[in-house]
Amino acid sequence: MSGDEMNPAAVAQAVEDIQGDDRWMSQHTRFVQECKDAEPEVLFIGDSMVQLMQQYEIWRELFSPLHALNFGIGEDTTCNVLWRLQNGELDNIGPKVTVVWVGTNNHEHSAEQVAGGILAIAQLLTSRLPKTKVVVLGLLARGEWPNPLREKNVAVNGFLRTWLPRLGQTQFLDVGAGFVHSDGTISTRDMFDFLHLTAAGYRAIAKPLIDLLLQILEETPEEKRASLV
Amino acid sequence: MHHIANASLTDKVMSSGESNPAATPTPCVDIQGDGRWMTLHNHFVSNSKDKEPDVLFVGDSLVQLLHQFEVWRELFSPLHALNFGVGGDETQHVLWRLSNGELAHISPKVVVLWVGTNNHGHTAEQICGGIMAIVQLIKDKLPKAYTLVLGVLPRGKMPNPLRERNAQVNKLVQEAVSSLPHASLLNVDPGFVHSDSSISHQDLYDYLHLTPQGYQAVCQPLHAHLKGLLEKQAEN
Repeated sequence: MSGDEMNPAAVAQAVEDIQGDDRWMSQHTRFVQECKDAEPEVLFIGDSMVQLMQQYEIWRELFSPLHALNFGIGEDTTCNVLWRLQNGELDNIGPKVTVVWVGTNNHEHSAEQVAGGILAIAQLLTSRLPKTKVVVLGLLARGEWPNPLREKNVAVNGFLRTWLPRLGQTQFLDVGAGFVHSDGTISTRDMFDFLHLTAAGYRAIAKPLIDLLLQILEETPEEKRASLV
Repeated sequence: MHHIANASLTDKVMSSGESNPAATPTPCVDIQGDGRWMTLHNHFVSNSKDKEPDVLFVGDSLVQLLHQFEVWRELFSPLHALNFGVGGDETQHVLWRLSNGELAHISPKVVVLWVGTNNHGHTAEQICGGIMAIVQLIKDKLPKAYTLVLGVLPRGKMPNPLRERNAQVNKLVQEAVSSLPHASLLNVDPGFVHSDSSISHQDLYDYLHLTPQGYQAVCQPLHAHLKGLLEKQAEN
């Protein structure tokens, strides 16, 4: 399906410190440490779409109570996420759900390659954490007006819709409904730079996501589940 | 003595465009394919047509993200502030934006300028030159406005060359604005670097961008300073 050896988007790769302050590795190291200290029921992994969510009130309101960890790093590609997962960010934890949101930064790769990279991440998760359910979020539209990246992200989502259900324990969730208006535009009320979500934008995607997470957590047999809704 | 020192400093900081890429107005080229940078610029230009801000914030993602958190509504909306921040911007990008319409329709009393940390590949002198070119441009286009340059924050979890570079930028800018009546540098670092030289992710979640808590620590004193400036402008 994804032909890993031939798919550059499915090759694990760390981010090189070109700028000089080693921030990517510092963040990765912190996440590995968090795996030692925490017992998350939900793990979020991905790029800035994941990372920024933790800075808004909505994280504390809706996701912290689920004992969620946030391993998002801005600008990450599927390759970077794969590397992080293979190098400590899954050690010592057993989340019931892992939410994956990555792919919009894979500028060097085709839609099919990006989808293959995401599939490789889902495969890695289900093999390393046999009890976890994987939820892959669809890539959002971007840019104020229709443009090639919107088409590409739609194509990625199309591949994922077909491929992911064939993998056990994995499902695809499209949270992008409503962002593109009838005139084809995206509003800065939802995406302040036509890519990253505002508080209102996160509120909109949180609704279907939290519903699904609660559903999965309810279904999962549990010895103790302290503070759920 | 003072004027001679100033002249050599100006040469040193290279605020003339030709020899300093950080001071040469340059738009961002759309490599990714969704034209977002130019879209944002166009939005800022057209937004400014029906607004009358007293304060304009302009700069990079540290400005842009500020607009997304509660602190903006609490502290800066009441001051009638507009936000023209664009993530990733370097000094030469801000210089281009301000030269191409973003100042055309407004007359803010104070411009808050926060930029420089993304100028990778430029020296501290070049970055200072870029910042000073922006200060000069604002003076040319808005003769009555006061420009408040915010110091570039430290970055990275532990000590690194970028922290040194940013500290040097601040030092050079401080010297360059010291003789200017219409501009000053405000250090907004409340002490993000701890005694073990580390920066906490509670303040800078990726050791570069501010958390809401980080913004509160930066913005409370900034807000107080701004109010003081606005009151002084009102008296003039």
